Amino acid sequence: MYTYNLFDDMVKLRNVFDDFFTERRDHEGNTEFPPIRITEEDESITISAVMPGISAEDIDIQLVDNSLFIRGEKKEDYENHPYIRRERFFGGFKKSIKLPFRVNSGEIKADLSEGILKIRLTKSEEAKPKKIQIS
Amino acid sequence: MIERKVPMNGAEQRVYIPLTDIYETGDLYSLKMEMPGIKKENLDIVIHENELRITAKRGSHEEKENVKYSEYSDRDYYRVFKIGYDVDRNRVDANLDKGVLTLKLYKSEEVKPKKISINQAN
Repeated sequence: MYTYNLFDDMVKLRNVFDDFFTERRDHEGNTEFPPIRITEEDESITISAVMPGISAEDIDIQLVDNSLFIRGEKKEDYENHPYIRRERFFGGFKKSIKLPFRVNSGEIKADLSEGILKIRLTKSEEAKPKKIQIS
Repeated sequence: MIERKVPMNGAEQRVYIPLTDIYETGDLYSLKMEMPGIKKENLDIVIHENELRITAKRGSHEEKENVKYSEYSDRDYYRVFKIGYDVDRNRVDANLDKGVLTLKLYKSEEVKPKKISINQAN
């Protein structure tokens, strides 16, 4: 037997709102292309940026003070044929990331694989965790 | 990438719907799908009846406690396309490069445009 429950309708309405806010393109709204992720280890931090279809030579990475700039261009790969669907986007992009601490500018490694750019930065000596001895 | 809830194995799951470009020529349909972070061994491409189903397991790459900030999530990719019977089930090329999957679905011989030669009657 079905009993009407007002809360079922409220949950449904809440789901409508939740879906509205989560079902959007990642590069729309509050984030600029490319979407990034920052992970921190003891001695380093890694910045990952999602950039499918972009070649390494079309990306320019710069470290200025403690900000990291990623600039580049995603080049069109359209063929000269009638398209049924066009959802991907192309063009130039630029993003700056403020690093949470100073990094050692001599030790930066960048790697691009499976459409994800990973930049590994080593923390400067002052930013590394230190064990303090109790005297 | 578009995030969406889809029914899968009886439950609802949040997945990324890969952005796709499709063009058609006389011989084939070509699909380009953006699936960053996917290795070819985690990719599953199935044609069943009139559906082309693409599933890719993303898996997590980083230790969760190390992630300080993120603008994307490690969701799986999933997308289904309806295909017609003009597609040759046995001739599909797939190539994964820089996080972009390119699929070439060849049309079967019967539906390809044919030039008809006219026999000259003497």
